[in-house]
Amino acid sequence: MKPLRLALLVLGVALAIVDYGLLRDDLHQTVLRSLPAPAVGLSGIVAGLVAWSRRPDNRLGPLMVAFGFAWLIRPWQYSESGLAFTVSFALGWLGAALFAHIALAYPTGRVTDRWERLLVRAGYVVALAFPTVTLLFYDGSADVKYVRPEVPSGILVHANDTVVEILDKGFVLVMWGVLAPCFVALVIRKLVRATPRARRVLLPILLAALIASLRAFYEFLLTFLTPPASPLAPPPELADNLYWWQVIGQIALPLALLAGLLSARLAVAHVGDLMRTLDRVPPRELRPALAQAVGDPSLEIAFWLPERHGYADADGRPVTLPADGPRRAVTHLADDDGAPLAAIVHDPSLHDEPELIEAAGAAARLALENARLEAELKAQLARVQESRVRIVAAGDEQRRRIERDIHDGAQQRLVALALELRAAQKRLGTDAPPELDQVLAGAVDELQLAVGELRELARGVHPAILTEDGLAAALESLADRTPLPVRILAAPEARLPAPIEGAAYFVACEALANAVKHAGATSITIRAEQHNGSLVVEVADDGIGGASIGGGSGLRGLADRIEAHGGRLRVESPVGGGTHVIGELPCAS
Amino acid sequence: MLPQLRCPKKPGSALWSRADLRATIGVMRRTVVIVDDHEQFRRSARNLLELEGFDVVGEAANGASALVLVDRLEPDVALVDIGLPDMTGFEVSERIGGRTRVVLVSSRHRVDVGRRARSCGAAGFVTKDELAGERLCALLEGQT
Repeated sequence: MKPLRLALLVLGVALAIVDYGLLRDDLHQTVLRSLPAPAVGLSGIVAGLVAWSRRPDNRLGPLMVAFGFAWLIRPWQYSESGLAFTVSFALGWLGAALFAHIALAYPTGRVTDRWERLLVRAGYVVALAFPTVTLLFYDGSADVKYVRPEVPSGILVHANDTVVEILDKGFVLVMWGVLAPCFVALVIRKLVRATPRARRVLLPILLAALIASLRAFYEFLLTFLTPPASPLAPPPELADNLYWWQVIGQIALPLALLAGLLSARLAVAHVGDLMRTLDRVPPRELRPALAQAVGDPSLEIAFWLPERHGYADADGRPVTLPADGPRRAVTHLADDDGAPLAAIVHDPSLHDEPELIEAAGAAARLALENARLEAELKAQLARVQESRVRIVAAGDEQRRRIERDIHDGAQQRLVALALELRAAQKRLGTDAPPELDQVLAGAVDELQLAVGELRELARGVHPAILTEDGLAAALESLADRTPLPVRILAAPEARLPAPIEGAAYFVACEALANAVKHAGATSITIRAEQHNGSLVVEVADDGIGGASIGGGSGLRGLADRIEAHGGRLRVESPVGGGTHVIGELPCAS
Repeated sequence: MLPQLRCPKKPGSALWSRADLRATIGVMRRTVVIVDDHEQFRRSARNLLELEGFDVVGEAANGASALVLVDRLEPDVALVDIGLPDMTGFEVSERIGGRTRVVLVSSRHRVDVGRRARSCGAAGFVTKDELAGERLCALLEGQT
């Protein structure tokens, strides 16, 4: 412990002993009544000195020490010495102002809110100005509470009992009637506005502050509503109860502050434990482990992906970091070379314990590196998957365009030509030479064949019925065209996403083609149903079996198409037992 | 009371004879509106149908103008392509009322046009390359 702090501790203990003697011997108080003032003062000094040594840059420590000393000099108001009385009377209420300052400044040591700052300043002014001005007029004769009668002020200028009494009541009115309720309101507001983690930290401190404030109301009521003058006046026996609540609150405040500091230290120790276990923590469990270590369940980790020049979550999905604000805060972590590694998004109250989040970040660096590599890999896989889907979609779009081009172009021209030739046949009628009629009839037949072949080609490229009427109609059309009995057992009536309908249709198409060409089947069934967010299309035939995905049957290409959409294709085809092709495609609707 | 229209046809004959056509023209020519976004098809279909005794009274290139035209001209038949730029032929068929019968056409095969061809109120469907007056008459008289 540094000499200054050691000296303050010794001075505090000495003052506490003097106080006890003053209360016990001079005022003949009971032991119980003589203990609170030294206890409150000492608890403030000890807690303050611990806080000061733990966080030298935080003002809370010195403030707590000052609070302790302010309480220790208060009993001197009962001293027979004019100097001791004057000093004690002038500074005696400073403890109350410091109390409010500490409660509102916790845990950063700074009062940043405008209203809170105003209240703290007003508290200091009122706590110092009223007693000091009172001393200018006090000669020991006026009726003033909490002083030994007939001890005059050391700075008396002009004795005037009326002014002294007015100032005494004025002090009670302003300090306990106005500032104390404002303090309570600001404490409640602070609790309401706090983030969940900050509220957990603040609650014991602010509860202690609220309990200690109860006495302030009582003082106010007692001064202005003296029984039996008012039916609203508090019963005198309440004073004793409130006195003890006040003492409890005033002792609890520094203790709660100390507990808060110790819990932060314990959390840092917990981070040390985390470091020892991190090599066993899989990347996915890193977030909950860190969240538990720093006591912030809302903690999130974003990994820096240099390739993408942005942040991503553990699954490689892009993440936009929130701006530092009252609800969320971001701590950036760098690797050993100083390059960005990750960002921890956390409760802003963790900024009050910077060593905690820094320790957690340092402990987790290796695990974060591993998790980042995993996130990077997942991001790359996601990109490959996305490009796969895009390739399939582009292929489908190309197929649709070719089908439309055939339909709107060559097919229409050939149809028109066939009609024109038929019209020419009609015009010539029976007057035409038979050879010419034959030539025209042959040309019309050839054109119709060409139109039919083009139609087959266009349908094979992409069936328009699938785009226009959906999977159920397309499967029905497919069944009608197949030269084997095909039964459709189920088909979704509702429209599904075009890539899903396309993939399902081509599964059925390929399976039917295989059944007809290679399996020697005599009957086929098709079932397409939605189950648990997936479209399952099953085609079963009674053929010779023996088919496999890798057997060059076109099923490999289909499997690729289905896997591109996150689905899978299975083929069950025992030799002699028929073939069962099952395609599963994830689809939300 | 509207005159009863009839397609003269020789029993067992696949093609119309000149006599049939003359008989039809002489009695009452069926009026037709052709609805298709391909101008070439409209022209060829008009040529053929007029030669086969129909009176093509109007043409439309999209569903909206087809509905206006049919409402104004009240033809006996509206020959409607399934794939129109602004709506499907099925929708046009569902919205055409009165005495006009709708025959759907498409260059796609019957099996490729789906169930709506049967449920949209059309008298029938014919592929474009098989369009002929005789086929049209068969559809209008309820023979498929």
